[in-house]
Order: sequence, then structure tokens, then C-alpha cells
Amino acid sequence: MISLHGTVSVGNFLRRFSLEVGNETVGVFGANGIGKTSLLRTVAGLCPLGEGELHVNGVVVDAPAKHQFVQPELRNIGMVFQDHSLFPFMTALDNAAFPLVMRGMKRSTARKMANEMMEQFDVVHVAEQLAPTLSGGQSQRVAIVRALVGAPQAVLLDEPLSAIDEESREGVRNLIREHLDRLKVSAVVVSHDRADLDHLCTRIENYTR
Amino acid sequence: MNQVSSRTPRFVRMGALIGVLFLALPIVGLLKRVAWSTLWTQLTDVATRDALRISLYASVCATLLALVLGLPLAWCLARMQFAGRRFVRALVLLPMVLPPVVGGVALLGAYGKTRGLLGGVLDSLFGVQLTYSLSGVIIAETFVALPFLVLALEGGLRSIDTKYEEAAAVMGAKDLTRFMRVTLPLLKPSLVAGLMLAWARALGEFGATITFAGNIQSRTQTAPLAVYTMLESNPEGAYALSFLLVAICVGVLVGLRDRWIGGASQ
Repeated sequence: MISLHGTVSVGNFLRRFSLEVGNETVGVFGANGIGKTSLLRTVAGLCPLGEGELHVNGVVVDAPAKHQFVQPELRNIGMVFQDHSLFPFMTALDNAAFPLVMRGMKRSTARKMANEMMEQFDVVHVAEQLAPTLSGGQSQRVAIVRALVGAPQAVLLDEPLSAIDEESREGVRNLIREHLDRLKVSAVVVSHDRADLDHLCTRIENYTR
Repeated sequence: MNQVSSRTPRFVRMGALIGVLFLALPIVGLLKRVAWSTLWTQLTDVATRDALRISLYASVCATLLALVLGLPLAWCLARMQFAGRRFVRALVLLPMVLPPVVGGVALLGAYGKTRGLLGGVLDSLFGVQLTYSLSGVIIAETFVALPFLVLALEGGLRSIDTKYEEAAAVMGAKDLTRFMRVTLPLLKPSLVAGLMLAWARALGEFGATITFAGNIQSRTQTAPLAVYTMLESNPEGAYALSFLLVAICVGVLVGLRDRWIGGASQ
């Protein structure tokens, strides 16, 4: 459950967000530069609210009026960043296993678990390559694994299919859906591709202005 | 190759050649004066050996101390907005432009046993005397080396894209973990370059050391001080030790060549 009502300053102007997400996958659709990414960053805790309130699974995580703010590292959110943000000094596998290790799992167990999921996403053959040597599509798949591999309380996907080529798009889309069904958490997908959202989401919100 | 920018005028090439000669000539001159047949005997002489030992030990300690003091400083300068930031920055850079002898005099004013601000307290409470001691050598070398490390680290921290640290935070990495597992690996090229510069500066320190820690053979006499002292009494030894210092520095430069020094500036 995500409930966000409030304003965030995006660049030089204020953007008002109003979003309710149950145990479903909500798509946010709209042109570039209207703050879709900021919406996700606010939920993740990287862009604090100026005013308003944000609840995740019934817990107040950001409420400036009440001086409440839960740091991003304590929110347990799985997120695919628009530019993937894989750590350049780590292999694909270590990138994918990172959230598991951070939640206290032994490195070898975490690598095994991440490896299984990388197999599903068809990137197991590049597991031992350093992140900067991956192609755009491979890097995005690893980023998706990284976001879904733990047991996140909410999932945020920022243009998760932008670098995946047309032929494999449907497969990756279905895999993401399967995992979101398995996790049974609130998910928000941001995209400017209507078809991707139609396939991934239970509901779509149109962002204009 | 016909672009305007890649056509180098003759006078520029001449100027560059003169520059190279200016830098190379002293090294050639130094090598010419080294008495190769007695080199080993000179280098294994007690005074020389002690000076080398003190130099290596003190310069490594000073570099580590500079790291402990410099990393938090660089962090705050690069990533915090606070009142007096410009003042702190100027203070950090001061030892870099200050004549080293003046640095030594200033250190006496702070840690001198009888007249220093803190020297008396250190002596009466802990029985620690920094002046004319090996610890004094380390303090003096740290004082002059610190700015180099802070500058390199501050630049490095500024150039790191914060998106990686943000991603790590979202994945559950807390402050210290985030620093150790994400910031530090990203900072590595600047860190290595900074440590190198600081260490080289510490190894070559002369003015602040002789003023603050003195020139006591086998106690505070570092290799540069030994070279200076021997130049009068035993020039052969002075040239031998100088040659060794050049060799160490060239060795370090070659060893770290493209891996870090080039990588850090790119």
C-alpha cells in the first residue's frame, strides 16, 4: 500500500502528487519532464516531500509537518532506476546480489539466489562481467533482477523496458508481472510507452501538465 | 593530421625541448656524480641506513595520519554547506603555500615543550614531547602532506555521481556500509593518487622537519636531512643517498603509471 499526497520541488517548480496504490501495479503515464521520476524518488526517500504525507504499508514514512522521515535504507523498496545505476566496479551478479547482502544474507547464498533469477531473465551468461561491459539491455535486466530479488515492501520501476529490444520485450514484461504477483506488493511503473504499461499494470494514471 | 590543432609550430616544439632538458639535466648531473663502485658501502653506512629507515617509517605514518585527518575534512568540504567553509578550505591549503620552515616554526608554537600552546599540556599530562622526536618528524610531515591528500579526495568526492550512493541507500545500505562498499571503490583512483602525492611530499620534507624535529642522527634525521648534512662532510654518501631517493620515486611513478595517475585525471 502506497499513499502519497503532497508537493515536491522538481527543479525550480513545485509538483503536486496524489497517488493511491493498493496491492496492485499502477502505471504512471505522461510526457517527459513532468516529474514521473521525482514521484518514484519521493516514494523511495531520495526526494523528500515539501509538504503533505506519504504512507507505505500503513506506516508514515514522510510527513514534514510531523517532522517524520524514514531514511531510504530503512524503507525496503525495490527500484529500477532510469539509467539502471549498476555499480561500475562490481560484476553483474554482485550487483544483483547487493540488496540481499545488505539485508544480512551471506554473500554466497545471496549470489546463488541472484544467479537463479538472472537465469530467468537470461543474463546468467554475463554474470561475472563488470557492469560497464554489459549492453544496455543486459544492464537493464540486471537492474530488474536487483529490484525484485529481495523481498521488497514496494517496487518502483522507472522505464524498466526502455533498453530491452522489441523481440524480447514481451517475455521480460511477463517475467516482471510474474514476480510482482509473487511478491504481492504495491508497484508503480513509470513509462512513456503506453503498450508496456497496458501489459504490466492493473491501472494506469495519466499525468498531465 | 592536417587539422589546425594538431599542427605544432616550431617555436613551441623548441620551447618544449628546452623544458625537457631543464628537467632532465639535473638528473643526469646527479647520476654522473654517483660513485658506482662504492655505492653499496655508502648506502649501508649506519647514518644512511638509519636516515632511510626513519624516512620510510615517518613518511608512511604521516601518510596514514593524513588519511585519517584528511578524509573527513575532504568529505565536509566536498559535500557540506556550512558557515566558514571558505575559511576552512583556505586553512587546509595554507601548508601547501607556506614556506616549510615557517610551518616548522608554527608547529613549535603549537607543540613546543616550553612555549607551545599544547606542548606543555602534552608534556605534563602524558609525558609526551613531540619536538626533537620521531613523533615530531611524523607531525611535521603530516602538516605539509595533508593538503595534497585533502585536495585529491575533495576533487574525487565531487566527481562521484551520487546516483550510486542513492541506489545503495534504497537497497538498504546504511551510512558506513554505503561509504565502505560504494563510495570508497568509486573514490579509489583519487585516493591512490592523493596518497601518492602526500607520501612523496612527506618523504621529501625538509624545512618543517629540521625546524620542528631537529636533525639528530639516527633519531630525527630523515634522508633529505642526511643528504644535506653529508654534502659537506661526505659528498659521495650524499650522492649515493640522493640516487636511491630518485630511484624510489621513479619506481613508484612507473609502478603506478597509467593505472592510477592517468586514470584519476581522466
